[in-house]
Amino acid sequence: MKLKKIIAVALAAVFMLSFAACGESSSSGSDSTKDTPKNSGKDSIAVSIASEPDTIDPALNSAVDGATLLTHLFSGLAKWDQSADGKLEIVPDAAKELVEGVENEDGTVTYTYTLRDGLKWSDGKDVTAGDFAFAWQRAGNVGTGGDYYYMFSVVDGYSEEDPEAKLNVKAVDDKTLEVTLSNAVSYWNELLAFPTYFPVREDVVANEAWATDPSTYVCNGLYTLDSWKHNSLITLKKNENHPDAAQVTMNTIEFYLSDDSNAMLTNFKNGTWALIDDVPTNEIATLKKDYPDEFFNVGQIGTYYVCWNINENILPEGSTLTGAEAEAAKAEIRNAISLLFDRNYIVNEISQGGELPASSFVAMGLTDANGSEFYKNTGVSTEFDGYFNTSEDAIQSNFDSAIATLKKYYKYDETEKKFTDFPTMTYLYNTSEAHKAIGEYLQSALAGVGITMNLENQEWATFLNTRKQGDFSIARNGWLADYNDPICFLDMWISTSGNNDIQYGKGDHKDIKCYSLDLTALGYDTKVENGTWAETYDELIAKIKSCTDKDKRYKMMHMAEDMLMATGCVCPIYYYTDLYMLDSNVKGFFSNPLGYKYFMYCTIEG
Amino acid sequence: MNSKTLFYIFKRVLLAIFTVWVVITATFFIMHAVPGGPFVGEKATTPAAQKAMEAKYGLDKPLIEQYFTYLGDIVFHFDFGPSLKQRGRMVIDIIFDGMQTSLVLGLFAAGISTLFGIILGAIAALRRNKLIDRIIMVITTAFVSMPSFIMGTLLLVTFANVLPTNGSSAGGMILPVVTLALYPMAYITRLTRSSMLDVLGQDYIRTARAKGVSGGRVIFGHALKNSLIPVLTYVGPMLAYIVTGSLVVEKIFSVPGIGRAFVNSITGRDYPLIMGTTIILATLIVIMNLLTDILYKVVDPRITLE
Repeated sequence: MKLKKIIAVALAAVFMLSFAACGESSSSGSDSTKDTPKNSGKDSIAVSIASEPDTIDPALNSAVDGATLLTHLFSGLAKWDQSADGKLEIVPDAAKELVEGVENEDGTVTYTYTLRDGLKWSDGKDVTAGDFAFAWQRAGNVGTGGDYYYMFSVVDGYSEEDPEAKLNVKAVDDKTLEVTLSNAVSYWNELLAFPTYFPVREDVVANEAWATDPSTYVCNGLYTLDSWKHNSLITLKKNENHPDAAQVTMNTIEFYLSDDSNAMLTNFKNGTWALIDDVPTNEIATLKKDYPDEFFNVGQIGTYYVCWNINENILPEGSTLTGAEAEAAKAEIRNAISLLFDRNYIVNEISQGGELPASSFVAMGLTDANGSEFYKNTGVSTEFDGYFNTSEDAIQSNFDSAIATLKKYYKYDETEKKFTDFPTMTYLYNTSEAHKAIGEYLQSALAGVGITMNLENQEWATFLNTRKQGDFSIARNGWLADYNDPICFLDMWISTSGNNDIQYGKGDHKDIKCYSLDLTALGYDTKVENGTWAETYDELIAKIKSCTDKDKRYKMMHMAEDMLMATGCVCPIYYYTDLYMLDSNVKGFFSNPLGYKYFMYCTIEG
Repeated sequence: MNSKTLFYIFKRVLLAIFTVWVVITATFFIMHAVPGGPFVGEKATTPAAQKAMEAKYGLDKPLIEQYFTYLGDIVFHFDFGPSLKQRGRMVIDIIFDGMQTSLVLGLFAAGISTLFGIILGAIAALRRNKLIDRIIMVITTAFVSMPSFIMGTLLLVTFANVLPTNGSSAGGMILPVVTLALYPMAYITRLTRSSMLDVLGQDYIRTARAKGVSGGRVIFGHALKNSLIPVLTYVGPMLAYIVTGSLVVEKIFSVPGIGRAFVNSITGRDYPLIMGTTIILATLIVIMNLLTDILYKVVDPRITLE
């Protein structure tokens, strides 16, 4: 009996161990012995970029994964393309050429496009200029219910209040489309390549459910929607009727809909999926090492930052400062606190996604008037880019200068090396391990100098609501650009903007007069001294939006960012990057700075 | 079936309807009380756009009016309305799609776990304290104490190179079914074992044996049948929970089931989808509980339904 007992226990132990060993051996299976994608032949590719898209209606989509699908399914007037030397550029697609605009007497600019021959809808009908005109009217209307109607704000006739407003766009004939913009816009061609500008046909979209089922999904691009198993798989098939079909090398693209990064990685490692757009955060370091040719980390035009509520009082109790003086002091304090954070530590040890330390709000990757990087031209110093030095060497000097500034306002215990009367604050973030880890770092960095910051997390939709209403003292924030123009980062901070989480020009801040704006050097007669936020910043943004002189416009955008950064309410942490894994046998793949991925010209070797 | 039983069932059905109504009402008002809304995104929309959307979906009306409209649509037209997030899709279609997958998954898992659970449990009981009993008990203890996200991930990495790991194909269902089945199987095994041991010690078993009834008949005709009552109590609700609560497994294996739709609807404040999934899931659980109670009587005639 005893012997049997021992055997039973031994057996059980062996069983448990073998189970554990199983798990271990395969999870450490980074031996990179990987075949070509199993599920795919040479002319088909299986990838996973995200879970089920909310919509693949061009007018309603606002997600990056939806945009990737749409760029395969539709041909807009222009498209992103990769030239032979690997450079990304905007080239004509449905339009014969991307014409220059003609300036009218009233300052508006008219563009006249001619459509290429042979463009067909997937049901065989001809694509007409009228389809474009209809699609733009629909997508640019606030009543349609898309998130990106404001992409048409540059078009004459646009209104974000009136659902009855009509854009100044019309089909002269079946081949000719005429559109008038309120003023010249440097990023217009880029907008033409944006999915919201893709054509749809009136009789197709009359059916509200048209974009949910392959049988009703009529498109005009390089691919057609072959099948859609909801929450599971979207299959695109090459559209042989497209004029450019001959250049398309990938006949079938399978988009597997998943949002579990562990599952994605498993399917990548066993060769089922050739590209995955997400990996588990804690695996990043290992993957980078084990898959040097298959792990990609490319720039994405966006900034992860911490925002202050401008109306939050952070002066010590008993401070006699009020109004403009208090605001100036708070700005100085916030900027000093921003210098206490070691951004290299955050990107290298915490987020580990290959992000880059940020020292400006306008993200890396956005270009200036002369084509150089906008953030490198802030003019603060020639020794570093942006508004402060993020290099490892500068950590101590940043820290010292921050402490020196804060000492002006708060009591400092020299023996403990801590401030004693900084009010307690709360840092708000949306529930996520990654945001929490960064929050904890910020908390500990502040605790090191005696500042107490509590952490509070809220679920996403609640968080958005709280932050928008300004019901916070400091909050996690992030912004990704929709197109390559710094204005996307700047116009969100005017007092009436719905994205103005910092609450500039709202509440108490509305009446504070401490901002100056002088545009006389640029030929305007605007000169405000000690004005409110609305009188200065809002005015500056309005000028930028109506400015047609590229150099002046970019100068003013730098001025706007200077004003923004001077308030200290934006504390940039890092520039976002897009992280993905791509099978090394796949050639011809590219992605654009907005994160869209292009599979049409892919080939699979080996 | 006598009139007493029929009356009992009638009463229970009424109670079930009442329960579902309470669930609808509570969910409806709690859901609207939670901050955030379906049209709030990272990038703000203008008040005009917000208004247009609210008007389109009737969210601009007073809450109480929305409530009665909703209730009316459900009761008289079985209409759950359109999803606010998955634009152009009807809630009923989303639920139907998800339920198909979840039901197949759940039924397979429930079937496998019940079948193997009972067999293993009976073997363990009949070979009490023998080697086979010990092995079964050790294994089941391991399975019972391992949460499904660990079990799922473990199976995923172990079998990633042998079996399909994506739940969208038929073969891809193997791993999720196994993951889902292991816990209830282990639980049923233990339940059957202890219940069977209890029954085997009863007087009537001894009597049957003394009468010279064959061993097989004692076990299958008397012992097993009577030891299944506790198992039955567990299996009914288990089926409902497997079908509705397989979110973790759905996520790990990318299975397009209902659990995922449920969770996503809540984070996205997709009001009609929250309501739709809650109602369907609540109804399912209520029905399974009712069926379990009725089945008691079939298994054990001594039980009276009152």
